[in-house]
Amino acid sequence: MNEGFLQEQRTLEGDLNSKNSHQNSVDFLMNWFRKRSIFVLAYGTGCGAIEMPPTFTSRYDAERLGIRGAATPRQADVIIVSGYCSFKTLRRIIRTYEQMSNPKYVLALGSCTVNGGMYWDSYNTIKKLEEYIPVDMYVNGCMPRPESILEGFIALQHDIGEGKTSSWQKYEENYEFYRKNQEAVLGKKVEPSYDTDWYLYEGGL
Amino acid sequence: MLSAIKNSFATDDIVTKRSDLYKVSVTRERVFELIAFLGNNYDYKTLNAITCTDWIEEEHFGITYILTTLERKSTFMVQTMINRNEAHINSLVNEFAQAEIMERDLAEMYGIDFIGNKNLKELSLENWVHTPPLRREFDTLEFVNEHLTFREGREDNLDVKVEMKRIRAEKKAAKEAAKILAQEKAKKEETEDAK
Repeated sequence: MNEGFLQEQRTLEGDLNSKNSHQNSVDFLMNWFRKRSIFVLAYGTGCGAIEMPPTFTSRYDAERLGIRGAATPRQADVIIVSGYCSFKTLRRIIRTYEQMSNPKYVLALGSCTVNGGMYWDSYNTIKKLEEYIPVDMYVNGCMPRPESILEGFIALQHDIGEGKTSSWQKYEENYEFYRKNQEAVLGKKVEPSYDTDWYLYEGGL
Repeated sequence: MLSAIKNSFATDDIVTKRSDLYKVSVTRERVFELIAFLGNNYDYKTLNAITCTDWIEEEHFGITYILTTLERKSTFMVQTMINRNEAHINSLVNEFAQAEIMERDLAEMYGIDFIGNKNLKELSLENWVHTPPLRREFDTLEFVNEHLTFREGREDNLDVKVEMKRIRAEKKAAKEAAKILAQEKAKKEETEDAK
């Protein structure tokens, strides 16, 4: 009667026994907790955001793997950069990424984040995301289906469990490199301005 | 209607594109007069869109105001040409409130100054300092090469169509060769059987 449940428990806890020698017990346990509780920032940057609702709802049900949504950057572990990323969006992505607390991971969806995709000669779209923020996992495809996204998440979970990814440290250590690249496309003022004048001007709201 | 426009605006350039679609070209001095005339007398009271075409060879922009009747049964395109190098024209905000965002878009993408529109700041771009991107002298690929880097590893990329043709031809040749071989084999076997 409890077979299904037991099976699920087994898959969830099975890797508890496969402890690696390069991790001490505390690190291993912390990583195991982290990979089983991934909070994904509810933020879509491009057309790929349309694949995220089916991933997180009943059809593909990412929550059975411990992956679920988070409302604010400060509570999130993973930011998904889903699809093409214009300069204007890149400002917001950088701001959001810097607001997230450690440990944090970046999952990049779609060929646009890999090499620009179909916007390879666009005047307003970046080509390689890893030049601006560190990327933990790329999921290619145009667009990747929810199965691929889950595959990417599982690969990311594997890396987290092994203690392989620490991209936030990379970002902190190589901040000058990233900042230089960011300034090359966005100008000296990388942070977005959050002025609300647009609805206060004459003839506005 | 068309003859009235011809007479009062001294233009011969009226095209009936469809039974419900007309296009007229007038000078920039008279375009607002004509729009008001169409609105007051013939019910073209909705401004659908303002579009711009870049005629770089003739050195002018063609700005088209697309007007529709209230019943949405007939459309009138009113076109006027302005000089590319001193691109400015009066704004239509006082007549049509929705013109504001359309003009803002054109100001951003073509660098046209709409005199009288107070809100001509950037709409979809941010801190753009280069040539307005939809002007034809703006070379997109040059901009990309200058500001962005391509991912390495595709330097040997080939033309997909040519490669597909080549692969298909190769497959066909291989298939035919296999066919000939099989035929020869069958012949040999036949002769051996006869022996």
